[in-house]
Amino acid sequence: MLSRVADSVFWMARYMERTNGMLRILRTNYISSQDEVKDFSWQPLLLSHSDAPAEEVKSIGNNSAKVLQHLLFERNNGASVINNITRARENARAVQDHITKEVWQCLNDYYHLIRSKHIQSQLQQGDPVSALDTLIHHGMLYHGTVDITMARGEAFNYLNIGKFLERAILTADMLNIKLTELNYNLQQPKEVPALRYLLYSLSGYELYLKTHRGNFQADHVLQQILYNNNFPHSVAYCLGQLFRYFQRLETESLPESYKQLEFLIGRAMNNVRYSSIRPSESENLKEFLQQTRSELFSIAAAFNQYYFGNS
Amino acid sequence: MEGHPILGNYHNQPRVWDEMFDTAGIRPAYQQFVSSIQDLSVDEMTHKDELAKKLFMSQGITFTVYSSGEGIEKIFPFDIVPRILEAAEWKHIEAGIKQRLKALNIFLKDIYNQQFIINDGIVPAKLIYSCPNFVRQMVNVNVPFDIYTHISGIDLIRDHDGTYYVLEDNLRTPSGVSYMLENRSITYRIFPDLLPKNNVRSVKDYPDLLLKNLVALANRQKSDPTVVLLTPGIYNSAYFEHTTLARLMGIELVEGSDLVVDNHKVYMKTTTGLKQVDVIYRRVDDDFIDPLVFRPDSMLGVPGIYGAYRTGHVAIVNAMGNGVADDKAVYAYVPDMIKYYLNEEPILKNVPTYQLADPDNRKLVFKNMDQMVIKRTNESGGYGMLIGSAATEKEMKAFRIAIEEDPRSFIAQPIISLSSAPCYINGVLQPRRVDLRPYALYGPDGIDIVPGGLTRVALKEGSLVVNSSQGGGSKDTWVLG
Repeated sequence: MLSRVADSVFWMARYMERTNGMLRILRTNYISSQDEVKDFSWQPLLLSHSDAPAEEVKSIGNNSAKVLQHLLFERNNGASVINNITRARENARAVQDHITKEVWQCLNDYYHLIRSKHIQSQLQQGDPVSALDTLIHHGMLYHGTVDITMARGEAFNYLNIGKFLERAILTADMLNIKLTELNYNLQQPKEVPALRYLLYSLSGYELYLKTHRGNFQADHVLQQILYNNNFPHSVAYCLGQLFRYFQRLETESLPESYKQLEFLIGRAMNNVRYSSIRPSESENLKEFLQQTRSELFSIAAAFNQYYFGNS
Repeated sequence: MEGHPILGNYHNQPRVWDEMFDTAGIRPAYQQFVSSIQDLSVDEMTHKDELAKKLFMSQGITFTVYSSGEGIEKIFPFDIVPRILEAAEWKHIEAGIKQRLKALNIFLKDIYNQQFIINDGIVPAKLIYSCPNFVRQMVNVNVPFDIYTHISGIDLIRDHDGTYYVLEDNLRTPSGVSYMLENRSITYRIFPDLLPKNNVRSVKDYPDLLLKNLVALANRQKSDPTVVLLTPGIYNSAYFEHTTLARLMGIELVEGSDLVVDNHKVYMKTTTGLKQVDVIYRRVDDDFIDPLVFRPDSMLGVPGIYGAYRTGHVAIVNAMGNGVADDKAVYAYVPDMIKYYLNEEPILKNVPTYQLADPDNRKLVFKNMDQMVIKRTNESGGYGMLIGSAATEKEMKAFRIAIEEDPRSFIAQPIISLSSAPCYINGVLQPRRVDLRPYALYGPDGIDIVPGGLTRVALKEGSLVVNSSQGGGSKDTWVLG
């Protein structure tokens, strides 16, 4: 496979995963802004999901409609959902002969959907949750289409590598954002609603309830998000999948490239697996998250160098 | 045709050949089609029209116009009423194009090698050497199987008496073939059953034929040579076509930056290192293909690829330097080429062409400018053209000055009225002018032409310019079996 094609497929998957993650975060945050949380602030989310100048972000303030507009549809915000989908589509366009026609059409439809007046007016005048749901559903359609139509070849492997790497980064980031909001202080006597919402955003709330029967503790939440191998958004699960799809590339890799990546992914996996994090040790937790993130980024950089030929 | 909701107001224009109607009624080729649609209501037809647009949009059969910041997605306008040709008509066209291509191909071989045609005084040397598309680097280059024009699109038009004329030969990188394929796939969605009922000949062999020819050009002793399609990238307006063809042939779509030349061999950069490339179907123009030999500022090409081609390590399709054969001034000599090389009478006529480098022609043309089409010899896409009957005094004057300055770069032709075909516009059938571009594939086993091609249509009322850049659209083209 061409290095450029592998690069594009990888990034297409990353942008789609990022889109999905963002939409879910926006949905839970919007609902929580309407619901029980007092003094809800959009600022942390705005700061992490917008590259607009600080003054502009400040001026948006806490107006939900404006925030959603900015994070979903603002072309000038490089991290907005519409920009992510556009980039995913541009990448798909450049590799149309390596993804199936169905996947390309699905992405193309997604792009036309988010550009449609209908979605924008529903967000502004109608029910934003329905608008977000429509977008999320289309994202699921994409994942289903990939699963059902793509041949289990190199392109499929790079798609999954991109997807799970991005998801691991997203999970680590979201955990970090929430913990920063709480000042990394999890030893609070009362239950922390922020963590509940974090589980919602990662579609892990139901699993949590089933596992822990309403016994809501910061420690359990952390365990699930970091280590639970049955939770498709946990860092451990994502790394495991990443490694699994990476191993399938072995016959199609240069031996020295494969060795480099195998080392990096294996190290990140083991660093997570053999860590033991307790909510009480806030410094350790912070350091651990930083380290995990930087290891994930170095995996991405190594792919870029050894497999995509961008040194 | 009174009383039919759709056909009711269809009027023939004087001195224009209509593809569907003659004075006596509907031509035989269209009878079956018309009988299937004449009872449809305006709503049903409009619904089909909208369905076609939706299908194009959702399949991403679009080109992007980057005018102000964000690109605007546009579909290439498609008219749902097919253009229909009878088997006998097609046979004539096919024979004519094959003959023409044979001659043009020998001409290219000749002009870049011994130049018999110049020595024998058929074509003036000055005309060839003054042609900007005569590529000196191609002189004495051995081309595999002596084939230069692997893929060509020959533009045909019809005069008021129905005679076919060749308007242009496109021998460099003709585009539009994907629309031929896509138009057909839309037609069977909007008119169920009509294709088999009419016994329409299939066009779907095109990618297979093309791939077969490309594979045959490979020079290495290998059962599965590496064939790639070289595209200028996603911002090219024909990008959709490049991906479609690559996908249909199952070959790699590459950009210039994916290829590298080492020791006169071309390689592509893959995740497993470098892999040698044997055949390149390039959709990058001559000027841009190798910055070491042609335009040094080109970012689309591959440095050193010309050397690899010259040494025979890679085959490039179409050959470089074909522009000298489809130059609009050289065009005037194609009938002579056919006689000279093949000793045959041309089957398809040329439009009479006046070269303006000749002072007598210039005088004649200036006198009758309102009845002439004046074209720049090395432009296409409907640019650099003046249609005398529709031009203002000021435009004519500007052209006169330009011609006086550089007469070699202009030709003039009498205005051919172009045949009309029915188009579904605003709820009724209206006549619009059309041309026809069949695509011919020239391989070691001979010339193949898929039955049909792309019918381009000037959607503006009264317009004679069918180019997509000038408000043109396209139609599915049926050849009845």
